[in-house]
Amino acid sequence: MAMTLQGSVLTNGNTATNFVPLKLEPNNKDSPEVFLNEASNGFGDCEKNGLNNGEIIEEVKETPSDEPVIDITINNVVCSFSVKSHLNLKQIAQNGYNVEYRREKWGKIHSQSQMVTMRLRKPYTTASIWSSGKVTCTGATSEDEAKQAARRITRSVSKLGYPKLRLVNYRVVNVLGTCTMPFAIKITPFSAKHRDIASYEPELHPGVTYRLKEPKATLKIFSTGSITVTAPCVGNVQSAIEHIYPLVFEFRKERSPEDIRTMQATKRSRGFKRKCSSDFGFEADEECITIDDGEEEEAEDFDSDQSHD
Amino acid sequence: MASNRGDGSGIRICCSAHPDAALIEDYRAGDQICSECGLVVGDRVIDVGSEWRTFSNEKANADPSRVGGSENALLNGTDLSTMIGPGTGSASFDEHGVAKYQNRRTMSSSDRALVNAFKEISNMADRINLPRTIVDRANNLFKQVHDGKNLKGRSNDAIASACLYISCRQEGVPRTFKEICAVSKISKKEIGRCFKLILKALETSVDIITTADFMSRFCSNLGLPTMVQRAASHIARKAVELDIVPGRSPISVAAAAIYMASQASDEKSKKTQKEIGDIAGVADVTIRQSYKLMYPRAAELFPEDFRFTTPIEQLPQL
Repeated sequence: MAMTLQGSVLTNGNTATNFVPLKLEPNNKDSPEVFLNEASNGFGDCEKNGLNNGEIIEEVKETPSDEPVIDITINNVVCSFSVKSHLNLKQIAQNGYNVEYRREKWGKIHSQSQMVTMRLRKPYTTASIWSSGKVTCTGATSEDEAKQAARRITRSVSKLGYPKLRLVNYRVVNVLGTCTMPFAIKITPFSAKHRDIASYEPELHPGVTYRLKEPKATLKIFSTGSITVTAPCVGNVQSAIEHIYPLVFEFRKERSPEDIRTMQATKRSRGFKRKCSSDFGFEADEECITIDDGEEEEAEDFDSDQSHD
Repeated sequence: MASNRGDGSGIRICCSAHPDAALIEDYRAGDQICSECGLVVGDRVIDVGSEWRTFSNEKANADPSRVGGSENALLNGTDLSTMIGPGTGSASFDEHGVAKYQNRRTMSSSDRALVNAFKEISNMADRINLPRTIVDRANNLFKQVHDGKNLKGRSNDAIASACLYISCRQEGVPRTFKEICAVSKISKKEIGRCFKLILKALETSVDIITTADFMSRFCSNLGLPTMVQRAASHIARKAVELDIVPGRSPISVAAAAIYMASQASDEKSKKTQKEIGDIAGVADVTIRQSYKLMYPRAAELFPEDFRFTTPIEQLPQL
């Protein structure tokens, strides 16, 4: 099947009419900095990709017959930076209003009073602050938001008694993106064909783990057609999806109407779950960070009390 | 007549008429005989055989012509040290009843981990009755991993369990992770991690598991007749071919197929989901989920020559 990739258009999320978007985007409306960026810069290279500001990236693949549009949603951007000053965690924990110091939860690290977590309401992120001054910030939904969150955290820590704090060594460590193909995927023959790069262990994980060297990314491909991509920068996520599309297209399977109905039902219930958690506060932290489109096998993980992988 | 060939590398005896002929050694008489003409050239060759006779019908624990145990040379390197055994008889204990020679010198400290791991693998395999070939293969894998040294930080027991899992897979008789967990004290998560690391370190890959690999084991553990087992295998294979159960682990599909086949048979082979779940290591709700997917097309899944004691319409519909 001949497919020409016409490059990508980064928009702020006009979704195709014949395609249901992957998840609700609550922060879509209130972000002021979304603009069109027509250039397709440096697919495999994070440093060249300076300006990826859209929360939803759309890929337009033009085929002779029709134009399937695939929404890539960025769920999580993890960044780390340093405030370049040794911090007194006890004082921050006592005086900061949004700071948590839970001793047992993270095991050894917390009990040695080395790390404190600070949560921001907007952008909704969580930062782990170490006494050396290094900070890891997770939960942002775009690179831009992550930078904004980093600045806010530095500001709020400096207000707690460190007048001259600087943000140094900011770098994005990890970007998690998800997308859904308009077709289901036959993962068993797919994994058989790509034995050297793909790893499929149904007992351990219901998806195929596909590791790309160039662009550097890890993709998890599920039989429903959902694909999760973890990469060091947003451009890599995009190019990884473009790379994998023809490979996956070969093993497509058409969805029956019943499958579509069950998929929409689970999407609605998952969207409701996320809205509830943001209303009730910060309890559902884990859900927000890793919304993995784990498929029916997620139900299986709850069913079978011993499989925790 | 014998003649010597001095060619600088030592003196060799050979037959004068046939200097290049090989000499056949006759131990009983102590002769060396030319193979061409039969001339006896050597004499009084010292017999290096054993000094005593061993009768095969004597059940001796130790073969007297051997000293020490059999050498596990492939896996241990040269291990010629001697261990001093625990004393027998009264002379080995001094006046307080404490044994003299307490210090059984630890041999080959560098391979201590290897020996321990081999013992562990052997114990685990023994619990689930694995044949010697699988154990040997697992030992080989462990040795390779140990020499590679990139999994050095991991617990040896975890590596051993993962090696056992891989060797079962490679021999074509895979065991589920849960079955290996049952005989090992390592968690399934850790075994899974070590498994992936080992595959990367040894740069091998394994075949994907299929439902057929587990049918015979599960069915015989449940005591099902061969007819039911064959039907279950057919059902599972058909279900995967028609892709009725996308994304389901082959173990769950196999368990659901066994359930369907056993429910369609006579009363004493009907098994509950719980029993099947116990044997297969899957939760009974998991079997229910897969069964629900397979039930609508049950008619296509059963083999043609299956005798239905309980017809398809009366199959339970959970």
